[in-house]
Amino acid sequence: MEYAIVFLPLIGSLISGFFGKKLGDRYCQILTSSFVTISGILSVFIFYEVVTQDYSSNKVIYNWISSGNFHVNWSINIDPLTSVMLVVVSLISSIIHFYSIGYMSHDPHVPRFMAYLSLFTFSMLMLVTADNFLQLFFGWEGVGLCSYLLIGFWYKKPLANAAAIKAFIVNRVGDFGFAIGIFLIFFFYGTVNYNEVFQQTPLLLQKQIIFLGFEFNLITLICLLLFVGAMGKSAQIFLHTWLPDAMEGPTPVSALIHAATMVTAGVFLVVRCSPIFEYSQVALNIVALVGMMTAFFAATVALVQNDIKKIVAYSTCSQLGYMFFAAGVGAYHVAIFHLFTHAFFKALLFLGSGCVIHSFNKEQDIRLMGGVWKKIPYTYTLMIIGTLALTGFPFLSGYYSKDAIIEFAFLKGTNIGYLATTIGIFTALLTSIYSWRLIFKTFHGKYNNKNNSPSTIEESPLIMLAPSCLLALGAIAAGVLFKDIFIGQDTNFWSNSILFLQTTHHEHIPIWLLIITPLITVLTIPSAYYLFLKNERVLKKFVLKNQSLYNFLLNKWYFDELYIFIFVEPIKKIGLFFWKKGDVDTIDRYGPDGLSKLVKIISDKAINFQSGYLYHYAFVMLIGFSILLTYLILY
Amino acid sequence: MLAHSLFFYFFSTIAVFSAVMVTVSRNTVYSVFFLILVFVSISVLFIMIGAEFLGMIMLIVYVGAVAVLFLFVVMMLNISEQTTKQASRKGFINNISVGTIVALIIFLELLVVVAGWKYKSVFVPLSEVNLNTGLTNTHELGNVLYTEYIHLFQISGMILLISMIGAITLTFKKRENIKKQNYFQQIQREKASGVSLVEVESGKGVKIND
Amino acid sequence: MTEISLGHYLSLAAIIFVIGIVGIFLNRKNVIIILMSIELILLAVNINLVSFSIYSQNLVGQVFTMFILTVAAAEAAVGLAIIVMYYKNKGSIHVEHINSLKG
Repeated sequence: MEYAIVFLPLIGSLISGFFGKKLGDRYCQILTSSFVTISGILSVFIFYEVVTQDYSSNKVIYNWISSGNFHVNWSINIDPLTSVMLVVVSLISSIIHFYSIGYMSHDPHVPRFMAYLSLFTFSMLMLVTADNFLQLFFGWEGVGLCSYLLIGFWYKKPLANAAAIKAFIVNRVGDFGFAIGIFLIFFFYGTVNYNEVFQQTPLLLQKQIIFLGFEFNLITLICLLLFVGAMGKSAQIFLHTWLPDAMEGPTPVSALIHAATMVTAGVFLVVRCSPIFEYSQVALNIVALVGMMTAFFAATVALVQNDIKKIVAYSTCSQLGYMFFAAGVGAYHVAIFHLFTHAFFKALLFLGSGCVIHSFNKEQDIRLMGGVWKKIPYTYTLMIIGTLALTGFPFLSGYYSKDAIIEFAFLKGTNIGYLATTIGIFTALLTSIYSWRLIFKTFHGKYNNKNNSPSTIEESPLIMLAPSCLLALGAIAAGVLFKDIFIGQDTNFWSNSILFLQTTHHEHIPIWLLIITPLITVLTIPSAYYLFLKNERVLKKFVLKNQSLYNFLLNKWYFDELYIFIFVEPIKKIGLFFWKKGDVDTIDRYGPDGLSKLVKIISDKAINFQSGYLYHYAFVMLIGFSILLTYLILY
Repeated sequence: MLAHSLFFYFFSTIAVFSAVMVTVSRNTVYSVFFLILVFVSISVLFIMIGAEFLGMIMLIVYVGAVAVLFLFVVMMLNISEQTTKQASRKGFINNISVGTIVALIIFLELLVVVAGWKYKSVFVPLSEVNLNTGLTNTHELGNVLYTEYIHLFQISGMILLISMIGAITLTFKKRENIKKQNYFQQIQREKASGVSLVEVESGKGVKIND
Repeated sequence: MTEISLGHYLSLAAIIFVIGIVGIFLNRKNVIIILMSIELILLAVNINLVSFSIYSQNLVGQVFTMFILTVAAAEAAVGLAIIVMYYKNKGSIHVEHINSLKG
């Protein structure tokens, strides 16, 4: 059964990719969607078995490397963590497949799109079912590749191509750190299989190594390097610049990859390596700090963005920050729980935005929307549900997971924990503000669109709404249904897939902590209503007074400009220098070009021998004759 | 033997001087004259040394035929005097120094052969050269030529024939607008192709297709 | 020095030989000079042959000289014929202008 889960999407992708033209659009869509759906149903079945019967398995597909003592297998490893991820990935992927049947129906390259989506699903499944770092890295690279292919799907748009390259390269930076981490693991552990690495970790706790001239604790260094990879993949701060630009891809891509699955691979990595991370408090603190900074940064930027997809993208970035700082304070299970619920409501938000864009005929700027909540009621309802879940409105799924993060951070008791709690609450406030801003600007107020008349705003087709409804169900129910299994007090669900060195007790939480976040969430609704709908002048005056702060936020804290200044321009100059001076002037000039010029020069001189004048020839004959004579006489 | 050596030096000096003047003189006709002078002085030397037949033959053939042939061609081709400067001629070997050095080398090497000959014992000094053996040089030469070297003699005759044919073939140009008789064609003409009887109607005349 | 030996004749021949060779490529005028220089070369060879023949009392040298004479005459004739035709075709026999072998 596990084989079917992992390989059905691959088969679907290959068939649709190679024979798409022959089979036709409709057949490809149905084929890939049904394969992934079967995969999803089987994943649910496995999850059920893991929950009820503590099922776990490790099936070796093929022996990949067997060299001396180094053995690596292609295998499918099922344990609790993997089963959760399987459900998330395959279910969301199948919903997105169905959604994109409707969204991409007018696109000329449907089979290619479905093939890429299924290929992505396969890579992600390979990633989560790995039992060694090498297969994880294979899946990691696979999803990076599919992300590139899908962001740049409309390859005729130069912006899309640039965004795809940017995503790939920033990911590469992360992958570089990740690879060095894996090398270190192999070098010191002698193996890259999870169970062997995790068993040997306690033995290597005191080891110090010298890296780049500095002395580091080995475990800390490995954790930090692995985390660099996670930063790249999950768009944490400093390596986040690709995520907003990745919105150039079609909306289903954003929903699948940049909300639910690929960006969560980083969180999965950190949680999977919890047996290593738990032994390095320094690394955990750094993870928490980075998570906090990202959550805060992304929320502030999302406040002022005007593109609907970019707001949701920054929201994703911010929620990923939450997951990371949850992992950083030791609450790995909460991080996964938040990942689980976040997948549902974030994908719902993206798909809803896709429906909005579809209704507004490709308009994406929220300042040019408004006043249509009566015309597209289903979309409106779905967006409201998603927003409520995102902000942590009580009793929806986001409430359980997000509040759990904040509580666990508080309960940790250290300074980092308190800092995390504060930032978590503040960011929750910001999250509410920008989420409701999106809703009010998009659906309420005046109708601002100049290109389309109000009568053309129609509801999206059923094929797009139905998957979104499924997601809405998940967004509502996933929290309350699975709370006890994932983060319940005495749950044994995770067994040995996550290591907890100290268990945090969830009982004695101060009351004020319990109610502060939901209170903030509920109170922001009317305040946002006032600020964005009733009395926009207050906001405008505020913006005018703090124009530089507004610009700072609008330009994403000038990260892109900073990176261009520090990295891109010098590297371009270096590249240009090497090309012009090194390649053209030196190597080419003395190499092929130089040789051909030399040949020409020599032959030009040699032409003078063929002057055509008889006496020249006679002279040359004479010289030869005298040489011959000399030779014969002397020897 | 003083006279002998005097004569030798005198005529050899003239020969060398004329040889130089052949290549150097401005006027091509002068070059030909100097060539004739060379031939004459050398033939005098031949006569002096006892090979009088060859000396005479040289006078007759070289001077009388070859040099005159040169003169004919020079006069016919209307070669004007050249007054170009040495340095501005393109293609001219501007390095006379290299040429003279090479010439010197060859000259010295030739002398090396002279200095190292091994058959010195074979050669007799001139004083002992038998000049009067009763037969003239011509007679002796004839004795040898027509007996032992008769084949080479005939072949050299054929060489002359072929060179003559070659020279004529090269320079012969058929004149185009001169009418000539082709006897063979004339004799071979038959009655059938030459004469035809035509019935003429009175007053109408005959059409001749030419 | 008064005794004229074989060496004198041979050096004389060498001198004329070298003058003939030099004349081939140091002439600035026309092609006929080249032919004349060739005649000088042949003449030097003749002197050599004859003097060897006399000094070794052997008539072979003189016989061979006759043949050389024959061939020289034939060659001069054909060479001049070529030059005449060349002049007829190209219009000039100045050495500067004869460079159609240029390549």
